[in-house]
Amino acid sequence: MNAAPIIGAVGCALLTACTLQSAPPAERITVRSGWARMADSGATSGAYLDIVNNDTTTHSLIGVAADGVDAAEVHESTQHEGMSHMMPRTDLPIAPGATLTMQPGGIHVMLIGVRRRLSVGDSVRLQLRFSDSTVVSTSVPVRTP
Amino acid sequence: MRAVRRGVIVARLARRPWRSAALVCAALLSACDLSGGFKGMAIDPPRAMPSFGFTDSDGRTVSTAPEAGRPMVLFFGYTHCPDVCPTTLADWKRVHASLGDKANRVRFVFVTVDPERDTPAVSERYVQQFVPTFEGLSGDAITTSRMTEAFGVASAKEAGTDATGYLVSHSSQLFLVDDAGRLVALYPFGTGWQALAADLERLL
Repeated sequence: MNAAPIIGAVGCALLTACTLQSAPPAERITVRSGWARMADSGATSGAYLDIVNNDTTTHSLIGVAADGVDAAEVHESTQHEGMSHMMPRTDLPIAPGATLTMQPGGIHVMLIGVRRRLSVGDSVRLQLRFSDSTVVSTSVPVRTP
Repeated sequence: MRAVRRGVIVARLARRPWRSAALVCAALLSACDLSGGFKGMAIDPPRAMPSFGFTDSDGRTVSTAPEAGRPMVLFFGYTHCPDVCPTTLADWKRVHASLGDKANRVRFVFVTVDPERDTPAVSERYVQQFVPTFEGLSGDAITTSRMTEAFGVASAKEAGTDATGYLVSHSSQLFLVDDAGRLVALYPFGTGWQALAADLERLL
């Protein structure tokens, strides 16, 4: 029996395993450009960030939590005939390769009941919850508005 | 007969504050002249506005009556608003900074459309986080209603979540009133702050 094919196959398998192990796992969802507004203790604040879906499947942002606040929710401001409206968003799909951009006047994280004053230099820890049970944690700096 | 008919219309408008505000707003917009030299939407001819009295957190009377040499910028919002209102006030802060020493001649006035939750003290603290000289006003229901109606501002409570409590939809444009108490320009939300800064430079 010729052992060469077996040795070759085992070698290949080892090499493959090696390659897989040495490449760092790509982050399926990444967050960038995050910031939160300064706010008084007890007041409402807002946070903004970009969420990038690096995966090959759609991920939906379904909720958010934050440290140091009574509650956090994702909302969207819209303008219609000169009126500003705001509504909770509990399912924001992000297509493969797409970025969900939060910005003033649009989608944002509403921070309700800030427990202590948020000043420039502070940071707010956010946990973003996605439809596949993934939770992405990030910390965003507090900026002057 | 005409008086009766007018009375019916007024009663209908009173039952539909949104429609009433929309009509005033439409009238203001129809008077807008984009080529009037203002970067905002100029009101041509300028419209004399009534003034309103408020009580601040120390019990002092604050009026929106015109002051010689002091134009006034007005915005109607509420402090539980996490996005559009602070975005507007942040723009005011940029305008204030760009005007340098002249900024203190401008009255930057925020009037809450949610006086139920925004006391005078809450309104004042909210705007003073941005610039200490910004004025935050909270009136009683009648004053708020009369002032918003005069400026064509609509507002309405909308259902929120258990955490947020009710939300308030509201007109989001800024108003520029000159030192004679005349409305001279409007700035829809999203107008760059430079437009307001340029128009204030013109009035100062």
